[in-house]
Amino acid sequence: MVCRLFSYCAFGISRMKLILGCKGKGKLLNYNALENTELDLPFSLSSGALPVLKYKLMGELATQKHVEFIVSVEKRKDSFEAVAMEHIRMSGAYWGLTTLDLLGKLHVVDVEEVVSWVLQCQHDSGGFGGSIGHDPHILYTLSAVQALALFDKLDVLDVEKVVSYVAGLQNEDGSFSGDMWGEIDTRFSYIAISCLSLLHHLDKINVEKAVSYILSCKNHDGGFGSTPGAESHAGQIFCCVGALAITGSLHHIDKDLLGWWLCERQDNKTGGLNGRPEKLPDVCYSWWALSSLIMIDRVHWINKDKLIKFILDCQDIENGGISDRPDDAVDVYHTYFGVAGLSLLEYPGLKAIDPAYALPVDVVNRIILDR
Amino acid sequence: MADLLNQFERILESDPQIDEVGFLHPSQFSELNKEAGHSPSFDDSTVLHSTDGNSVFWNRDHKLGISTQILLPLYKAAKHAFMAASRQYKALNSKSDVSGDENSLCASLSLDNSFESDVMKHSRALLLLSCDFGTAWHSRKLVVSQKHNLWDFLDELLLSALVLSYSPKSEYAWSHRQWIIKSIAGKCSTLSEIVTKDSELVEKIAERSKMNYRAWNHRCWLVTYMTREQLLYELKRSRNWASLHVADHSCFHYRSRLMLKILEEQCYKQEISSSGYSVETYQLWKEELDWDEMLIKRYIGREALWLHRRFLSLFWIKHFITDHTGVSSHGKQKNSMNNDFRIFMDNELHLLDSCSIIPDNSFDDYQSQAKHSATYILWLIKQIPDSRRIEFQEKLKTENLKALLNKACPERSSTWDSLVSYVEASGH
Repeated sequence: MVCRLFSYCAFGISRMKLILGCKGKGKLLNYNALENTELDLPFSLSSGALPVLKYKLMGELATQKHVEFIVSVEKRKDSFEAVAMEHIRMSGAYWGLTTLDLLGKLHVVDVEEVVSWVLQCQHDSGGFGGSIGHDPHILYTLSAVQALALFDKLDVLDVEKVVSYVAGLQNEDGSFSGDMWGEIDTRFSYIAISCLSLLHHLDKINVEKAVSYILSCKNHDGGFGSTPGAESHAGQIFCCVGALAITGSLHHIDKDLLGWWLCERQDNKTGGLNGRPEKLPDVCYSWWALSSLIMIDRVHWINKDKLIKFILDCQDIENGGISDRPDDAVDVYHTYFGVAGLSLLEYPGLKAIDPAYALPVDVVNRIILDR
Repeated sequence: MADLLNQFERILESDPQIDEVGFLHPSQFSELNKEAGHSPSFDDSTVLHSTDGNSVFWNRDHKLGISTQILLPLYKAAKHAFMAASRQYKALNSKSDVSGDENSLCASLSLDNSFESDVMKHSRALLLLSCDFGTAWHSRKLVVSQKHNLWDFLDELLLSALVLSYSPKSEYAWSHRQWIIKSIAGKCSTLSEIVTKDSELVEKIAERSKMNYRAWNHRCWLVTYMTREQLLYELKRSRNWASLHVADHSCFHYRSRLMLKILEEQCYKQEISSSGYSVETYQLWKEELDWDEMLIKRYIGREALWLHRRFLSLFWIKHFITDHTGVSSHGKQKNSMNNDFRIFMDNELHLLDSCSIIPDNSFDDYQSQAKHSATYILWLIKQIPDSRRIEFQEKLKTENLKALLNKACPERSSTWDSLVSYVEASGH
């Protein structure tokens, strides 16, 4: 009896367990966003562009409210819920800042303040912690690099040091550990590859082995799990497909088989995507599953209009923010993935996001193309 | 604040068998007392008060409740104490590394012990408040790995289980278990017992926390440490659980993992030299197919059951029917394989027929059942070898499947167009 009471007293904090920062793609394909002018036409001829009228019927993205929500979260630091999340603050910064950038509002942030805080989280090893004083981990190292990339401030880094931290986490079998304690996960493979690619140092790891480890995590259903034999999961699939995209190895994937599994994630009724069979739809998979479908060129296997409607239905129109499902409580994590999903769906007024690097396309182009 | 932390740590020390922790709103304290069968007047041994008289902790029957009103100050105190202890412990460690002098080494060792116990005490308090505070888990790994004492490692499994009791998805609590098991594997005679217990722990947690990816991954990971007897035992044990949780896809994935491991070990043993698999493994697969079919018919419209069937059928065709030896095989053997394939295929088509009927005024479940049965067959057509596919398609027109899909789920008609044309394209 006592146990029962306890179970529902427990805080729901673990729901914020965020999978990880996120990622991007490699070959700068361009299913880049449409020009805004094009979207002003009621019926665009360009394939994939949705007429503006349709969005009006669905309700609109509450851009200004979401900006206010993100800024307010950053300031709300003195509740237990806020401090108990401090260990992932670096990822929170990446989610919030990327959302602001996609919404065209990055300028509301004090750049110097963010950059100086990010640098205070770095350790002698070159890795970054989730907050000042927290141990380094590859998760927060990528988030730090991504946050600096948004501001075009990668030059403040001692690149060699960061690269040596990340490259030093590769194991004999090609996999990557998250930190010195040796947990292995395909998320970490993605992070290492994305991070090193953004720093122009992919040559510091054994890419061939990294790819073959990722492929060893492929299941008979076409999906990927966190380690060999682990269940397919849309978040892990994103990591594996993103890493393969960045390294130019997408030809190793059976795109039809994987596309089949991914398109079965869409819920017939609500249009939302789930991350695994029999789970409820959740806005964050509008990023994980959708970006994967785009990278393997099978996005036409799902109904994009219904997915847009699902994401818009998860907004808190009054106070800003996006939740996992309609009418749930909002958080920064789902706000980011909702906006990023809409960007992938070419929603008007948003900057285009790169499906593999999970950064705005202009940021990725600046780094990768304008070298 | 320090008082609050002291009070908290004293409770943890005095009741090492605490197996559940939760955060309580102050109004729940008296509720809990009632429920536990005590008088509503506060019992001092159960409820602890802060200096200003408010109830802050509740501890009875190895359950611990913490008032939500003190979480913030308690967290701050625990974090501060932990960070300080950890800094001192690390500083001392790096010093004793460089000093070769024996006397100073002894002195630093005793200091070490006190910092060591501080690190363990404060990190425990902190982790019960913030379960994914990775830095605190790391410092515990550091201390335990320097002490080389098996009991310390086993204690860590208990702390991890306690954290999982209130935060079943804690990534760090799960990875801490794997780190412990990896550290003691090969040095501990009771490893197989630990593996069995961990598997039971996952099952217990899965009961409350549905389709918990981390938990089931842990169970899948344990498979690498299992003997053949354990694999068979786990397969038997999880069967009952699965039939009571037919929507838990993770459990079916776990079963597929066990089955593949059994198959793999056999392949390895026989070095794929001899012609087939043992009757035992063949039987195991056959039984799983029959059982899954029974569940499909009993629980209408469950995606997990149909996906499990995709797995079972794929490997059934690949390992138990397909003619590995190709042209060199005897005519007789080949015939029997063709025959096996035909029997299997007829059974699956029969299943499709019985599952694709959508009664008028039926619930959504029947639509889902029809949809899953049609996508199952389509998927299978795509996966079987070309030579077989032609035979299959003679009996079943893909346009009929498309019509069924459009009837069962018209919202996704463009998806069905894409999938069907993809399957048809690969048939030519």
